[in-house]
This record gives sequence, structure tokens and C-alpha cells, in this order.
Amino acid sequence: MKLPALTLNQKLAIVAVALGTLALFSVPHRGPVVTLDTRELAQIVEKEVDHVTPSELAAWIVQGRSDYRLIDLRAESDYATYHIPTAENVTVAALPEFPFLRNEKIVLYSDGGIHAAQAWMLMQAQGYRAVYTVLGGLEGWKDDVLYPVLPAQASSAERARFERAVALSRFFGGEPRAEGGAVAPAPMELPKLAAPVSSGAVSPVAPRKKKKEGC
Amino acid sequence: MAPFYKYGFFGDEMSLVLAFVLGTGFGFFLERAGFGSARKLAAQFYLYDMSVFKVMFTAIVTAMLGVTYLGWLGWLDLSLVYLVPTHLVPQIVGGLVLGVGFVIGGYCPGTSVAALATGRIDGFVYAFGIAAGTLVYAEVFPWIKGFVNSNEMGQVTLPEVFDLPWGLVAFAVVMIAVAGFSAATFIERRIGYRS
Repeated sequence: MKLPALTLNQKLAIVAVALGTLALFSVPHRGPVVTLDTRELAQIVEKEVDHVTPSELAAWIVQGRSDYRLIDLRAESDYATYHIPTAENVTVAALPEFPFLRNEKIVLYSDGGIHAAQAWMLMQAQGYRAVYTVLGGLEGWKDDVLYPVLPAQASSAERARFERAVALSRFFGGEPRAEGGAVAPAPMELPKLAAPVSSGAVSPVAPRKKKKEGC
Repeated sequence: MAPFYKYGFFGDEMSLVLAFVLGTGFGFFLERAGFGSARKLAAQFYLYDMSVFKVMFTAIVTAMLGVTYLGWLGWLDLSLVYLVPTHLVPQIVGGLVLGVGFVIGGYCPGTSVAALATGRIDGFVYAFGIAAGTLVYAEVFPWIKGFVNSNEMGQVTLPEVFDLPWGLVAFAVVMIAVAGFSAATFIERRIGYRS
């Protein structure tokens, strides 16, 4: 028996149907299991490119940058008392289920550095690549941004840096301090939530800005 | 590994260079398919030449199968591919407006640029219309902003919306395409040019 001669279109249609049938069995999305390149992770930690400093973060907030999401990992009550402006509250337990996009830049912070670092590892294990922690966590934010300290014998460079820190501190409702002065450091009360935020109240989920992508 | 841009294989500048290369290639093949001519494009709407349907559906099937297999092989991380967020009703309305412009002007935005590049005057007029229309849209945007942003569905895909396996949707799209091509050929034979 001789097969009927096929036109080019018919041959192409057969190829398409064959590829489409094979595609039935495809699993194009990776599941929850990922392979971690431990050497790559170690290098990221070693090179310290896995965190942003509190001052950098403060500058981003002042500039109104929206290309990242700031996540407060502490309990809801702590978040309600004080959080870094623009932060969203997602506890560590809720983190694996939270619908982040895989290519979002995510900045994590907790009280100190430990919870954030652990959460960073969790996120890495889920295949999130652009995850950062705030160096020193909320404590670092207090020390560097809210209540910067002018050293007793400050050089001119240190003074210049302090001047810039003062402006940032005031913006976020903090209070700069001078070390070794007669005045004892004021009790470090956290600023009222509403005060430092320039753009209205902070909602738990910040409005998502449209990405400059696509056509 | 891919998308290359998301994995930092190249930066913004290089992505613009690559966009130029890819765009030039896109324009070249549009022209080769005959889509630099408004006659060919408008014929689609009178059903005597189904080239637009065939070329576009071929592109969809090719890209879909390519993405499916690359994702399956683990070479492409589909969760990193940007999708335009879906706003169902505004996008249907927008699609109809674009379709009306397509019939009247004889081009879609991409093919008008291809026509412009080959020196067609109607392509030039159309491209000018795109610029003017963009300007008008930007000016009236504050008034229609609420509608444009309504029906937000996020970055969704058909498998998610219908809660079906990815492979089944891919298979269905291929079958629809093949059936569509047969139907298109049939329609062309019935009411195509008799020259």
C-alpha cells in the first residue's frame, strides 16, 4: 500500500499535532523542589551582596523607589507598634505561602539579623533570587537611621556623614545624638507611625506599581 | 538559565541592542509574509485571504510549544517570564478599538512600521496616527484611568484561569490551530480570489 503524497502544509500539521501531543505530558513549571548551589550561596554571603544597609534603604524610601518590596517579618503587634515606612507585614511562618513574584526584589528585616537571615535562606530554597536583608535588622535601622550618633572626636569626614544622617533621621521622625556630650542620650522611643510617612498612611499591602516591562 | 535578562546575562543596554535585532527580524518576516501591504491585511477581514490568521496562529503555536519544551527541559524558568496583567473587559474593549483601526487603516501597529520601512505612504500616515493617538490617550488617561485599571486579574495564564494542566491547554491550542488552518484554507477556496 502506498501512502498518499502529502503537501508541505499537511506535513507541518502532522509535526504540530505530534509536538502538541507530546506537550500533553509536559511539566514546564518547576515544583517546590529546587537544587541549591551551595557554593554560589556561600559566595553571596561572603561577598556581602545579600543585604542592604539601613542608610541605603532609607535613601530608597526617601527617593520613593518602588522596584522592591520591603517585608517586615515580625509579629503583627510589633508591626502595628512600629515598622519601617512602606514595609509590608509577612511573618516567617506565612512567608512560604506568600504570593511573591519570583523576579521581585524582596528586602527582608526582623528585629535583629537572625530571623531575616533564616527567611533569606528559606526564600533561596524556594528559588527566589533577588532577596536581601536589612543589615542589623530593625536595631540597625534605629542605630543608623533613626538615632545616628556623632562620635566624640569626629573627623571632618565623619561630621559630613553625620550631617547627611541627621537629615535622614529627621525625615523618619528620629533624633540624632552626640556621643560624650553632657546630655544623656534621650530614651530611644520609636517615632509615632504616622509622623515620618510623607505619602499618607501605610497600608499593610503597599499599592503595587506597574513594572516597566512588556509592551 | 533563561530568561537571560532576568538571570543577569546582560544588562539594560545590551537588552536594547537585542531588542533592535529581534525587532528588525520581526519586521523582516512581516514584510516577507506580505504584511507590509494594507491590501493583504485588510483581505483578512473580508475573508478572502487568511494569511494574517495563519501567520499569527503559527507564531502563537511555535512560541507556545517552544516555551513549553524549554520549561520542561529546565532551560527556561517560566515563573520569571513577564506577562502583561489581564484586565478582561478593558482589554476586550481595547482589542475592538484596535480591530476597528486595523480595518480602517489597513495595518496593525507592527505591520505599519514594516510598511513605513519599505517607504509606503499609507504606512507613514498610519505611524503618524499611532503617535497622535498615543498623545490623545495620554491626555484623556486621567478620565478613563478607573476603567483601564478595572477587572484586575494579575499575571494569569489559561491553565490557571481554567484550572487545567499546562500540557492539556497546550495540546488544545495546537488542535484548535490545526482545525483553524483547515477551516481557513476551506474558506479561502470558497470566497478567495478567482484570478
